[in-house]
Amino acid sequence: MSFFSLNGVTMRFGGLVALNRFSMDVEQGSIHALIGPNGAGKSTVFNCVSRFCQPASGEIVLDGRQLLGEPAHRIAGLGVARTFQNIEQLHQMTVLENVLVGLHSRVAGYVPFLPGSARRNAEGAAIREADEILERLGLQSFRDTYAGQLDFGRQKMLDVARALAARPRLLLLDEPAAGLRNREISFIDGVLLDLARKQGITIVLVEHVMQLVMSVADRVTVLNFGEKIAEGAPAEIRANPKVVEAYLGVEAAHA
Amino acid sequence: MYGAPPRRQFLALGVLVIAGFVLPYLLPDYFLYIGNVLMTYLVLAIGLDLLLGWTGQFAFAHVAFYGLGIYGTALLHMRLGIPFVFGMPIAAAGAALIGLAIALPATRLRTVYLALATFAFAECAQWVFRTWDSVTRGPDGLRMSAASVFGFSVGNDREAMPVIAVITALVLAATFYLVRSKLGRAFCAIRDSEHVAAASGIDVRRVKVLAFVISAFYAGIAGGMYTLFQSYVHPDGLGVWTLVLLLTMVVVGGSGSIGGMVLGVLLIGILPEVLRAAPRGLLVWQEFAYGLILILAIMFMPRGIWGLFTKSRSA
Repeated sequence: MSFFSLNGVTMRFGGLVALNRFSMDVEQGSIHALIGPNGAGKSTVFNCVSRFCQPASGEIVLDGRQLLGEPAHRIAGLGVARTFQNIEQLHQMTVLENVLVGLHSRVAGYVPFLPGSARRNAEGAAIREADEILERLGLQSFRDTYAGQLDFGRQKMLDVARALAARPRLLLLDEPAAGLRNREISFIDGVLLDLARKQGITIVLVEHVMQLVMSVADRVTVLNFGEKIAEGAPAEIRANPKVVEAYLGVEAAHA
Repeated sequence: MYGAPPRRQFLALGVLVIAGFVLPYLLPDYFLYIGNVLMTYLVLAIGLDLLLGWTGQFAFAHVAFYGLGIYGTALLHMRLGIPFVFGMPIAAAGAALIGLAIALPATRLRTVYLALATFAFAECAQWVFRTWDSVTRGPDGLRMSAASVFGFSVGNDREAMPVIAVITALVLAATFYLVRSKLGRAFCAIRDSEHVAAASGIDVRRVKVLAFVISAFYAGIAGGMYTLFQSYVHPDGLGVWTLVLLLTMVVVGGSGSIGGMVLGVLLIGILPEVLRAAPRGLLVWQEFAYGLILILAIMFMPRGIWGLFTKSRSA
């Protein structure tokens, strides 16, 4: 039994079958890439796990727990955090506030009216932890900048920072390298390896940047039109004729 | 926002309370009246802004909850002899409870549908105030008896100002903590992206309902404040015009900020007093002028005047 798995998940939008009995097993502490052409259903997988979508059938299991019975806001508390493909930032909040929102599920109590020391300590600990995360991802000097004013690459990093604040066991990253420069991609490369290898966080990575996928992924699953067409180690995937035809193209096969 | 509120905010509240106790000895009645009106509007505007500017919910039922606070506090006193210090919180809690009943279905709606549904509720509430003769005196309006605060009779602007200043200070202090709390951050997160909020573990629907309830409670408090210095309430004052006035205050001042509310209430609240000095022919254009100011502010200063003074929040 793997740490995280989807079994026979089918998701329809009207007449369109976005996922057709899709299954995937992810080992604990691994980096598992999910690739495929646009519209293949990659983000839909994430949206089903996040509980923004309700699949028609199938199950999603994290560490023995069924996720499909849980509402969206409970998923973070169960140890699943995610980033978003089109940077959906809390743009009118500062960088630090963004990370504090990420800490939401771990700070107890809503009640704001008691300026007691216990509350202040919880809040203080949250702020300290948020600062540590910003330090680690190189965002410390932008602490009090509004997220909407950051450049594109840093907004992407902030998205990761906010997700990490939930201290996830499973991290879903939706195209973290899209639109980034090479230098930024190699930084993300290092961050992902550090998270998986040193901190034991399981990562599912949706990505089009093959350079990143091939260098960090332990396993790769390929989706096309809502169906899994291949799965295996990065080298096997690169050599798979079906994948080359559907997605990578002939050039990439020789690269 | 995060951390403890800065000390200067509480210093400002101290100044407000002292002014509330001292000014009645220094200023003529008319200025005290304006002061009381402005403080009441400030509590109303902050309550509306919690929903509009902080949580990003375009809900327009605020004036109805204000009316519930006014009629509730006044009638609890006149019919049941319940003094103000109990009557106002009970009336405000009643407004909050009705807010809860409205919020449960309303939070399933978004944007223009939410606006329409809440606006329709406000119209219904005004209709009830106007037609429920036996309780509200209907279109004749309700003449209120002087309130009783800790055994003291409070029936004019001079007597009311210290009480109103203290209530305003308490509401502001609570708001300082609220917007810096985890709940305040949850409001902002929902405003900026419901998806990010939910994925971060925020129960979006529950927090929206909380915002509605708290906002209605503020409006109910403001209604109670009204009964301290006014002797008469008429349903006509609880309609669209008051909503437009409030929206103008919120938008011109700068939504999503307490400082913006203070600015907006001062500027827009004093404007009619300035216009009063203008020739009669101009007065007719007053409502037109507010509408125009509102539109211009939305087009050219989306973060209000307060936004011009603080670091811009782009995108």
